[in-house]
Amino acid sequence: MLDQLGNGLLLGIIISVASVALSLLYGVTRIVNFAHGEIIALGAIMTLFFSSPVDYRVLFLDKYSPLGYNFAISCILAVIVCGIFGALLEIILFRPLRRGNVGNIAVLVVTIGLSIFIRHLYLLFATGKVQDFPLELQRRQTYLFFDMTPRNLNVLIAGIVIMLIFGLLLTYTRLGKAMRAVRDSEELSSVSGINSDNIILITWISSSMLAGLAGIFQAIINDVRWNMGFLILLLIFAGTVLGGIGTSFGAMVGGFMIGILVQVSVGLPFMEGHTEAKNAVALGIMILILLFRPQGIFGQKERIS
Amino acid sequence: MSNNLIEVKNLKKTFGGLTAVDIENLTFNENELTSIIGPNGAGKTTFFDLISGFQNSDNGDIYLNDKDISNFQPYKIARMGMVRTFQLTKVFDRMTVLENLLFSGSEISNESLFKSIIKSKSQKNYEEHLRDKARDIMDELNILHMEDSYARELSGGQKKLLELARSIINEPEILLLDEPLAGVNPKLAEDILSLIKKLSNKGITILMVEHNIEAVMKISDRIVVLAEGSLIADGNPNDIRTDTNVIEAYLGKDND
Amino acid sequence: MKITNKVLFVVFLTGLSIYLVFALNPEGAPRILLNLFTFAGIYGLSAIGLNVHFGWTGLLNFGHASFMGVGAYVTLLLMPHAAGREGEITSTGLPFIVALIIGILSAALFGLLLGLPAIRLRGDYLAIVTIAAAEIFRLLVRDLESITGGVYGIINYTENLQKYRPNFINSLSESSGFSPSQAWVCLVAWISILITVLFLKRLNSSPWGRALRAVREDEDAVRALGKNAVWLKLQSFMLGAGIAGLSGVLLAFNYGSLETTVFVPLLTFYVWAIMILGGVGTITGPIFGSIIFWVIISETDRLAFLLFENANGQQLAGVRFLLVGLLIMILMIFRPSGLLGKKEELLLDVK
Repeated sequence: MLDQLGNGLLLGIIISVASVALSLLYGVTRIVNFAHGEIIALGAIMTLFFSSPVDYRVLFLDKYSPLGYNFAISCILAVIVCGIFGALLEIILFRPLRRGNVGNIAVLVVTIGLSIFIRHLYLLFATGKVQDFPLELQRRQTYLFFDMTPRNLNVLIAGIVIMLIFGLLLTYTRLGKAMRAVRDSEELSSVSGINSDNIILITWISSSMLAGLAGIFQAIINDVRWNMGFLILLLIFAGTVLGGIGTSFGAMVGGFMIGILVQVSVGLPFMEGHTEAKNAVALGIMILILLFRPQGIFGQKERIS
Repeated sequence: MSNNLIEVKNLKKTFGGLTAVDIENLTFNENELTSIIGPNGAGKTTFFDLISGFQNSDNGDIYLNDKDISNFQPYKIARMGMVRTFQLTKVFDRMTVLENLLFSGSEISNESLFKSIIKSKSQKNYEEHLRDKARDIMDELNILHMEDSYARELSGGQKKLLELARSIINEPEILLLDEPLAGVNPKLAEDILSLIKKLSNKGITILMVEHNIEAVMKISDRIVVLAEGSLIADGNPNDIRTDTNVIEAYLGKDND
Repeated sequence: MKITNKVLFVVFLTGLSIYLVFALNPEGAPRILLNLFTFAGIYGLSAIGLNVHFGWTGLLNFGHASFMGVGAYVTLLLMPHAAGREGEITSTGLPFIVALIIGILSAALFGLLLGLPAIRLRGDYLAIVTIAAAEIFRLLVRDLESITGGVYGIINYTENLQKYRPNFINSLSESSGFSPSQAWVCLVAWISILITVLFLKRLNSSPWGRALRAVREDEDAVRALGKNAVWLKLQSFMLGAGIAGLSGVLLAFNYGSLETTVFVPLLTFYVWAIMILGGVGTITGPIFGSIIFWVIISETDRLAFLLFENANGQQLAGVRFLLVGLLIMILMIFRPSGLLGKKEELLLDVK
């Protein structure tokens, strides 16, 4: 069972970062964003795009060589593109919907349509087949009680550091406090002089940037696919729900728990020969959590009246 | 058997450390029209939620006709004859006024899937009888001309009337009214008030949360005052008017 | 259904889209139409079931594919078939109609099973739970190869239905170049729709239908009036799931072999698009929605060939789904009540 711990931690960091992003957006806007997975994929696809050589820098990514831009710069550019994309979604789509008083459920259905639309745009115009980042092959090494490649260890550490910094910013900066104020009551915060439109815009941007980062992690650890975001979307929901929807810390821990659970469950006795069903275990646990503790492990019960 | 229709003992409800309701002992008598008043956040609506089963208490017992109903499902409590309305009117927006009343008036057995598939003669007869009953009530409340309008097209006051009509169609023993006059114009408020009085005279026990103190003083047999979740006064309107605790609780507040 | 301008418009639109198929396909239009109507019938039936959930009761069900799947798998496995890697043959089984009834009941039971715990949850949570449950179902079907045939699927079962094929279909097919087996599935699908619609019409105007709509409008008020909202929602879940189960069986017979790739989340989204297009809360809306939807889908291939020279299967599918996504978005934003839905019954402001 323990030999899967390294894989669990790696899947955990992807889900964790993505869950923090999803949870942040839900907390402030109450949107259950089914298109979250597509923003994740955008991070990976854009990194691939920027690290391709100049001659081939068209959206058809089937041809690329690892001689393009510096990889780190590509990652940063990709995250920025994701942020801009999130901002555009808010300005073009979700802000008008909010102004038109469209209900949460209708918006949820809109995000499903958006998700299908964007995902198949990728399929058609970006990366119809599985591709890898232009990175050298590395051998796994053992650290403490888990093993992974040095590069993946760096991803793990970087992810945790970024999430911690993000959490601190959310807790201690004026902006973070304003976000929480909007989360608690949009009406109230606009009375107290907070421009909730701006806060929601910033929330979209930061959520999308984090999602893009999760996509880059996913691509480094695994590969780039057009439907990579959709494949782990339900696990991200599971992570978010497990930790407690709307809490960043909860989403971070919940994400790790789901990641480890999925990978480690392969080693469970009754799972022998049933590795296909490993995601089912995590999803089953999510359903149980929703039934018996809908506020998650770290969430607080909402006051009903 | 006493005439204590509802009895509440050591009822307590907190929200994350904040006490919403904390009542040691409170009884409501048969046939009385009792108003529950208190400043905002006094726990009036939470109290209603607790006795009607919409929220579970942390602790304490609630008796209806000497039967312990603490933490019962709301629909079970309603079937025992205690029906409530809501502060924010809850009508079935995309159903007609008539449909609103038919649904509320219908017996549960009439709504069985099986009966609805075979469409028995008895169901048809029952529905006709129900329709007549609904029309009578609509007529009484002056909303008969709107029977085919969607409930969402009604004004705020008319919605209050519809909600009231819906609650009394099955002649409940006890009626819990949560701010029946909120957002209603003065003329209609008069009508609603006299309707409430009439229902009370008919023998229905009424508990009412209301902010309109003047109206409360006028029609109540008894007034219960809550502040910060606790009972601070209980008596007839005249006693309450002069009660020092009450004046203190409302001091500096605008009791509109 | 009263004949209003809206109904006339929808009928006209449906007629126009069928005409388009003829206009765009000078050759082989009947064959294309048969294929289209078979799919439209099956998906329309499924959307009618979904409408019982969402349109009538306000339940946000995103696991519809799993109800279809349960119906299909139970029915097929109860009849003579072959399954799995080796194509292991099961030569005995129940007659089609008995297996079908058990399949539909199983789908309804699965609806109950999923509904029992999930129904207490608020809308958006219910969406997540149902889609997750559908994924669990799909993963289990893939994994339990010894029972379900796993990724190798189920084959050799179509004869169970085809042996009842009436003769006039054979002669009709011969004269017009149809596939007789598909024509039979198509006919069964549309008979099923007819029966289901009549059945639901009866229910919609009944006290039961009224109670469901009340639940959709305001659950708290329903409970305050002494009605058991949870039980009403469960009944709705079962009824809609049963209808979905029937459509799942028909889908399996239309494909001729059953693979695990059929009951994926995208199938659910297809059905959602059809329901929204036809009219949320209506009974016949999804039928028109389904025909128009499948005309659009079948003609998108032209669009794909405009975009890509020699478009491959992946690109054809990509263009299709691109449009499905766009359709869901645009409809939900600009016309959430669909073509036939009543404006007064718009579901815009559901909580």
